Amino acid sequence: MKITKGHFIIGLLLLAALAAYPFFSGVVYTNLFVRFLIFALFGASLNLLLSYTGLLNFGHAMFFGVGGYATALLLEHMPNAGLLTALFVGASAGALLALIVSPMLVRVRDTAFALMTLALNQLLFIACLKLRGITYGEDGVGGFSIPPLNLFGLVSVDITHPYNFFYFSLCIVGLGLFLMWYTTRTPFGSIMIGIRDNPNRVNYLGFNLPFSKTVIFTISGFFAGSAGALFALFQNLVSPDAVMHIQNSFTAIIMVFVGGIGTFIGPIVGAAIMTGLENLAVRYTEKIFLFNGLLLIMVVMFFRGGFVGLYNLAKAKWGSK
Amino acid sequence: MVILQTKNLCHDFSGMKVLSQVNLEILQGERHAVIGPNGAGKTTLFNVITGTYHAKGGSVQFKGADVTRTEPYQLSRMGMGRSFQITSIFLRQSAFQNIRLAVLSRRKIRYNLFKPIDSINIITNETEQILRQINLYDERNVPASTLSYGKQRSIELGMAIATQPDLLMFDEPTAGMSKEETHNAVRLIRRLTEGKTMVIVEHDMEVVFSLADRITVLHHGEILLTGKPEEIKNDRRVRSAYLGDSEV
Amino acid sequence: MKIPPSDRGTIMEGTAFILLTQGIHGISYGLVLFLAASGLSMIFGLMDILNLSHAYLFMLAAYFAFSIAQVTNFWVALLLAPLAIACIGMLLERYLIKPVHPFGHTPELVLTLGIGMVLLEVVKSIWGTTMLTVMPPESLQGFIPIGYLKYPVYRIFIIVFTIIILCGLHQLFRRTRFGTIVRAATVNSDMVSALGINVPRIYTLFFGFGTWLAGLAGVVVAPLLSVHPGLADQVGLDAFVVVVLGGLGSLWGAFVASILIGLLNTYGIQLIPTVAPLITFSLMVLVLTVKPTGLFGDRQ
Repeated sequence: MKITKGHFIIGLLLLAALAAYPFFSGVVYTNLFVRFLIFALFGASLNLLLSYTGLLNFGHAMFFGVGGYATALLLEHMPNAGLLTALFVGASAGALLALIVSPMLVRVRDTAFALMTLALNQLLFIACLKLRGITYGEDGVGGFSIPPLNLFGLVSVDITHPYNFFYFSLCIVGLGLFLMWYTTRTPFGSIMIGIRDNPNRVNYLGFNLPFSKTVIFTISGFFAGSAGALFALFQNLVSPDAVMHIQNSFTAIIMVFVGGIGTFIGPIVGAAIMTGLENLAVRYTEKIFLFNGLLLIMVVMFFRGGFVGLYNLAKAKWGSK
Repeated sequence: MVILQTKNLCHDFSGMKVLSQVNLEILQGERHAVIGPNGAGKTTLFNVITGTYHAKGGSVQFKGADVTRTEPYQLSRMGMGRSFQITSIFLRQSAFQNIRLAVLSRRKIRYNLFKPIDSINIITNETEQILRQINLYDERNVPASTLSYGKQRSIELGMAIATQPDLLMFDEPTAGMSKEETHNAVRLIRRLTEGKTMVIVEHDMEVVFSLADRITVLHHGEILLTGKPEEIKNDRRVRSAYLGDSEV
Repeated sequence: MKIPPSDRGTIMEGTAFILLTQGIHGISYGLVLFLAASGLSMIFGLMDILNLSHAYLFMLAAYFAFSIAQVTNFWVALLLAPLAIACIGMLLERYLIKPVHPFGHTPELVLTLGIGMVLLEVVKSIWGTTMLTVMPPESLQGFIPIGYLKYPVYRIFIIVFTIIILCGLHQLFRRTRFGTIVRAATVNSDMVSALGINVPRIYTLFFGFGTWLAGLAGVVVAPLLSVHPGLADQVGLDAFVVVVLGGLGSLWGAFVASILIGLLNTYGIQLIPTVAPLITFSLMVLVLTVKPTGLFGDRQ
């Protein structure tokens, strides 16, 4: 795709709209948007595994959760650590966990892989509940101090203000999404797609499958961890139910499927749809899982390309006229 | 010079003997065919050499190194390229992307996360060169799944060639092809393997005799004999192996 | 503290008896687990489907048992609830799972996950989230004396009942036409359909049969544990672990793994209560790391 003048102008307008968003929407909707951003980052990191490498990870919340806990615990015990340090520690914790679980995951395939990730997620969830000395059990880690954003020692921005946090997360998520998108364009990105379509041939072409998968997990874990870290800073609280629960893993899968599996933009669209719909749905019903479950069944049954697939279909039908 | 050598190679599947005491020698620069009736163990021999299975007995030596327990990706890096009997390409991707992956491997670009792939010109150029060699340049950008069977087989061969191996292993490259497709494939293989070392497992005798410098006949998992095409053609044992086991 | 010589033996015998009763506890739980897991394993073995909603069907059966037992009694529940679950299972297979099957494992797993989520919410909205108790029938209440200790009759019933079902299963696969067809289809379904047998219908029936077993497990477990929405996670996840641990598609593996998990669970809670919940998953992760196909499996 060539970048034309038109794209440039649309991009600028979009940026301006995003910059002005908090002032038009107010605090509640600003926070809702931050939620969307965090889940877009989380969903996109799962998408690297799901759409680009063909690995159905049912336990992606473990990376998100570990990232959140790492950031929260760092700030709990070292309130003077910088904001970006805390964020980086969270992201690295996700990557580190990915490195640790990779040897267990690289050899299992398909259904067994999916269940293995589920089991690992459940293990970490229980560990977070039981290791009260570190994690404070089901209460979680909360009320830690959130350091201001210090830019080159010149300005200090208080990100506990919702609007400031909006801009902060916009930058972080934007950067994260860009880096992931860039990854898919590199030679390594091609190898990922090769692994998705025909791992056996990739092996015979001279690529080390287990090691390549480990690299992918680590990258994905890093970004999932950074999403978790952002979440910790956003909520000022991490608890097993909020970050580590298997339901969080399912949410990410739903986002990828609803948005459109097989595309980069899919989980981002999915995150937008799901955050928006959830916000609407909770006003009328408490049964959010019923709603999510039905949506998931509908998508898998009737629109396997998700929303992006539908959009492309519509464009092909009406756009060509 | 011997490039590949198996010594007393044995293999079985849960007790059923498939290969016994196979001693095969492939010389540098020759085109060597392995033939034999159905169930002779050709494909198993092939898979044991290329690392799909690890031999239960004996050893495989490639360029002087013992590779009996070596993984396929390591063998590929050492210079052994292979094609598959059942087409094993990336169907959802274009011919260009298929070949490019093999070129990446040859250029040892495995974990590059810093440069967009489209901007690495040597990769693009080399890929296009191979696409021209296998006559797929004009169709390089359509998904491989929409290409004809014969063209998919060309991609299969192209990927094996693109890693520029010292030893090429072709597993029934003309399997399932029509007469005309087979004819084209043989021409292509001859051109691509000019001056290279190749081992080919093949059913089609016409293909074998028009390509091979030397032939090894495998029967019941054992080597019956190895020799020049004329010798094989006129050998009584080979004939009886193909026509029936009258002497056993 | 000094223990008088005469008492020492009693204490040691007491410990032995506790270990013994815990062992029977473990085996009975393991057998229930196997009942729940067998359907899952067989469906995977024949149809290559891992039904993530299996655990929720199991839970639904326990709720059915609760409601039916309230109106009539336990025995009627044991008869009717599994049948109802089997019907639901067949409907799910016929109208949801089968159409998605050609598209591979990923959509299928996600679909059955969605079904599970819906079932969980349905259960919550009908029966609420409180713990419900199902009493065992009067004839199975009370205790059998074993030495000094009294052992609950109901647990003995579970062991006997499950073994009867297992023998029945064995006979079904060895002796009946249905069993023969299923065994043949496991090896080569194309061949079986070429012989003029309606394989899709056999699959649907078989799916119903597998969920029927889950239903049986759900009813049997209802008096043992309390009936609550967490039941699917509590026992159902164990059932998945059992199937993967034993080796996907291997019924024998699932049996061994069930007993193993059952024993580890009960002894674990006694001996190392804090980390007991971690045992199951740790074991699975450990085994699969060493042998990706599970204990007795040959495929993934």
